[in-house]
Amino acid sequence: MTDAAAPEPVTPDAAGASAVPRRSRSFSGRVLYTLLGRWGARVAAVWIGLVALLAVAAPLLANSHPIAFFDGDVWTSPMLRHLTPTDVLLLVVSLAALVLWPLHMLSAKARRRIWLGLIVVTALAVYVFPGVHPPEAVVFSQYREALAENPDARAVHTLIPFSPTDRLRDLPDRRLAEPDATHRLGTTQFGEDMASRMIHACRIALAIGFIATGIAVVIGVVVGGLMGYFSGVVDLIGMRLVEIFAAIPVIFILIMIVAFYGRNLYLIMVVIGLFGWVGYAEFTRAEFLKLRRLDFVQAAIALGVPLRSVLFRHMLPNGLTPVVVTASFGIAGAILTESTLSFLGLGLVEEPSWGQLLNQARDMGGGFYWWLAWPPGLAIFLTVFAYNLIGEALRDAIDPRTQKQKASPA
Amino acid sequence: MTPPNDPNPSTGSGDTTLTGAPAFTFEHADAAPHDAASANATKPRRPRHPILRVEHLRVSFPSPNGGRRVQAADGVSLTVFPQQTLAVVGESGSGKSVSALSCLQLIPTPPGKYDGGNILWKWDPGSESKTSKPDAERSEAPDRPPSASAKSASASGGPHYVNLRNFREKDMRAVRGNQIAMIFQEPMTSLNPVYTVGDQIREAIMLHRKVNTSAATDIAAQALKDVGIADPLSRLKSYPHQASGGMRQRFMIAMALACEPRLLLADEPTTALDVTIQAQILELLRHLQHEQGMAVMLITHDLGVVAENADVVAVMFAGRVVECADVHTLFTHPLHPYTRGLLASMPVLGKHQGRLPNVMDGATIPEDLPPGYTVQPHDPTLNPVGGYGGPNAKLHEVQPHHWLLCEKEGDDANTKGAVPELAFYR
Repeated sequence: MTDAAAPEPVTPDAAGASAVPRRSRSFSGRVLYTLLGRWGARVAAVWIGLVALLAVAAPLLANSHPIAFFDGDVWTSPMLRHLTPTDVLLLVVSLAALVLWPLHMLSAKARRRIWLGLIVVTALAVYVFPGVHPPEAVVFSQYREALAENPDARAVHTLIPFSPTDRLRDLPDRRLAEPDATHRLGTTQFGEDMASRMIHACRIALAIGFIATGIAVVIGVVVGGLMGYFSGVVDLIGMRLVEIFAAIPVIFILIMIVAFYGRNLYLIMVVIGLFGWVGYAEFTRAEFLKLRRLDFVQAAIALGVPLRSVLFRHMLPNGLTPVVVTASFGIAGAILTESTLSFLGLGLVEEPSWGQLLNQARDMGGGFYWWLAWPPGLAIFLTVFAYNLIGEALRDAIDPRTQKQKASPA
Repeated sequence: MTPPNDPNPSTGSGDTTLTGAPAFTFEHADAAPHDAASANATKPRRPRHPILRVEHLRVSFPSPNGGRRVQAADGVSLTVFPQQTLAVVGESGSGKSVSALSCLQLIPTPPGKYDGGNILWKWDPGSESKTSKPDAERSEAPDRPPSASAKSASASGGPHYVNLRNFREKDMRAVRGNQIAMIFQEPMTSLNPVYTVGDQIREAIMLHRKVNTSAATDIAAQALKDVGIADPLSRLKSYPHQASGGMRQRFMIAMALACEPRLLLADEPTTALDVTIQAQILELLRHLQHEQGMAVMLITHDLGVVAENADVVAVMFAGRVVECADVHTLFTHPLHPYTRGLLASMPVLGKHQGRLPNVMDGATIPEDLPPGYTVQPHDPTLNPVGGYGGPNAKLHEVQPHHWLLCEKEGDDANTKGAVPELAFYR
């Protein structure tokens, strides 16, 4: 009779499990622990964390509207006044996550619930009732002009006192200025501040990666899961569908879509997602084909668990490993695709994105502006590299167990 | 909701010729008092009706090399009485597991296929409070033979049987886990590695009972205590990989029994465990069976396990039940050549035996069969998988409460043969 106080009685698989830390940790917890033990993944996580921080805090870091402004009579905060609903939602949600994370007296489930509730409440408050309404007509130059005219006026500026779309028309021609004290990374051919645009471009880089990959993962997992579970005819039809979609080049479809429907970031995300699910479907199918014959799946069915629950509650978490690994590469791929599109001049116009900034580094006349090339180039490289590092580390963190299991019968 | 006035939903498939077959004589079970073999039986109540009655079940799978379909179950007939332990023994591939899995419709179709037969389950009015009664059998089986149903209704009067083969997936879910539970051979893989033990037991409870999470936790903790696990509340929070094999099998049993099923299908529950743990688990099963009053269908190929636990034994070979008797009779007077071979090939502790005989070498044709019955010798060249006897071989009660797959002189080749019923308790 095994003693409950001794957490690990000697079992045939005890040797295989000994590689992982011996505490009551969930599988995902153990993977995360192993993952962050690797310096490559740690550096990558720090870089992506930095990009995420810049993305969330972009309006607080680079803004033509001062944080605080004194016009001689009253102090106002033009920056807060000009925050869009999306800005507010992102800030509140991130702040909530940061505050709730270290609160260990609450259970993980309770923290998740509070956080999700907060997202819903904030989203409702920001978008619907009473809503955040920034002024429709934005005049970037008004505070600079007021400061110049009124000697009593005072302003506390953000770190970079330029908005990404501020073309500095009130100032002497600053177009294509090389980096200097005012513009740390120089300006673009429209006179916009490069540093500001770089910071604001983080949002698109993150959003495109996560949303496009998210769409692809959801489609791929559902299609692949059904194919793997039912096999037979469903699998046959599904695989033909996979082959059809695998044969379609995404970038050409994107060019066509942009040509027909205009430059819409969300459309680009959806199209990348709709044509990128093939890999996830194949992985999920393979996992489900293996899993559906396992005893715990049979046991779940024998307990009367409904099919939906068997598929997505019992099988999916066990078959998600390769999907998660592929998804981290997929995020990198989506960022690259958007950059490619923007570089080809088919991306966004007003809103900054790294690929678009890279595109502006060269002009029609054959000119090349080095200060416009290296920041977005480096950012794209580092981000894609970071996601790839995390993908590799994730694969290794999950692998030791499977490798040991494979090795033991031989 | 009143059950339909037809207690015998015999079949939905037209290929079974049940009309007139003695399969529906339910009164057989208590027709005669038991003989010397059951002298020690002191049970006050002798159930009249089986809770599970598998009739001529046929399940086939496609042959891997594209030939004829392999008949994994080739007319399996079994009955299980309340609180009884029925042991189903046989070698690998003899159709033991297929028969058990069929009871819960767990055979994947395709590639598997139900070719005929019925799985009759005694519908307990008391269990309707736990789940709503499915109306599957009401709408189906339009070609049900009216004579058979009328006969059965008048003959038995009491129990109401539903045919689980006619159940749709949705109705089947109310049976699985709730009325018939199953535990599997490999405790190492029978628990989902990503959820805690508590999550999994709670899920099983909340599927079938209308309780909230905290009440389900209490029931789960009690279930773990029942299976002899110390400190159940902390164990509920642990993951399967943190427990040993024996403990995991206890978790499985706790999960299966948390909903208090009336029948437990135990598919080689101790094969993957070492001998001491095996004894503990079987002892535990016996104890819980006593406490909860459920029946157990114990599938095994370990004759030692059978001898210690079973009330009634059914020996299977090549997709058929070849012999069915109470445990004493089967071990002392085996009649079927395959059973004899099986017993002859069993090593005896403390006896120097040298090389053990092969099952087929030990198979001898019995001389003491009643006149008129014959068992054909097994001919592997003629019939590599078909087992003993020709197509005409059926289960016959050759001696009181001893059923044997054999041919009877002057038997009608078109009938299906009877279903063995042995309301025997050790």
